[in-house]
Amino acid sequence: MPQSAELEIQISPIVQESLVHNSKTLYNLQSLTASLFGVAAGILGLESYNGFLFYIICSLLTTTLFYILRVAAPSSTTSKSSGIFDTSRYFKSSSSINFEFWTGGLMNGLAGFILTWTLFYGLVRA
Amino acid sequence: MAQAPVQTIHRDPQLFYWILFPITAVMILTGILRHYATVLMASAPKQLDQKTMREQRSLLHGINVRTNFHTLSRKSFNARRDALTAAYESGAYLKDPERRGQAPPNPMSDPSSMEGMMGMMKNQMAMVIPNTLIMSWINAFFSGYVIMKLPFPLTIKFKSMLQAGVATKDMDPRWMSSISWYFLCIFGLQPVFNFLLGSDNAASQMAQQMGQMGPQAGQMFGPGVDPDKQFLAEAENLAVIEHYSVLDGIENRLLQGIKA
Repeated sequence: MPQSAELEIQISPIVQESLVHNSKTLYNLQSLTASLFGVAAGILGLESYNGFLFYIICSLLTTTLFYILRVAAPSSTTSKSSGIFDTSRYFKSSSSINFEFWTGGLMNGLAGFILTWTLFYGLVRA
Repeated sequence: MAQAPVQTIHRDPQLFYWILFPITAVMILTGILRHYATVLMASAPKQLDQKTMREQRSLLHGINVRTNFHTLSRKSFNARRDALTAAYESGAYLKDPERRGQAPPNPMSDPSSMEGMMGMMKNQMAMVIPNTLIMSWINAFFSGYVIMKLPFPLTIKFKSMLQAGVATKDMDPRWMSSISWYFLCIFGLQPVFNFLLGSDNAASQMAQQMGQMGPQAGQMFGPGVDPDKQFLAEAENLAVIEHYSVLDGIENRLLQGIKA
């Protein structure tokens, strides 16, 4: 009989397809909202630092809302939740706080954000 | 000049209608076109005959039993192990039982792997050609003026790349020509393609897929490997396993779970 950690994984195995589906959902959401935030930043006429700050804040806000509305509620009823920011039920992470979940959206959406930001900045400012 | 004055250039508002929107529309449409062209041009997967399929699948079966043996009870695991080992050692699954001791065919001359390579090259061509065409079209028709201003500042070095047709020294690098709008679009339209075409579209993630597909196909189905040796190695692996099951001691776990 192996040790209890390995046995835990064998009793409730991690399905690769579900993990991939979860991360794809998160990726799609973050890309789409990043493009929309670009539109907002362009219309508001934000310049360099303000624009990027706006992007970071709104992207983190989106991820927090996603967490609150989708990930937190079922996770709190299982017995394994560690603290208030636990995503281990839906996403596989290498450390206890899942940095990829919270900050991955910044890198993914950056291109879409800059594109729509530039477009609408040019259109509205005229 | 202590603080560089903000350079505003008064531009014709018709500039947007005649330049920005056409370039964006063309790029989105060629992306969609490329995706559908790839879908239509993809050759149907090769149909293997039954013996080859049986050879490959039986090896996979052995590997799966070895990896997931803990989900089986002892009796079913032993039954599988005995059946598979007997079949492996007698060569019942082999494609050509007469050629048991001989070397496998040369991978270069074996025609089954050539089609895989042609498929990858076709995908690469489908990606490169439209991009080159669009870039030359933009350089021909849209060069010589700046279109828009980037919201954030850049260093001077970017000027040579982003202000291709306009040779001024003092203009802010924030002003870009149309070729730089083209570059922005390449990177920034990938979320749009994801949104319009679903996630496995062929228009954007080519570069990532190229890198990932390379090292995977080698190990067991490459024609250079001898299946008989693989079977014997697998039989030995199966014989070595010390079996335990997740069903052992399950009554204690259930009782403990209820107790709390």
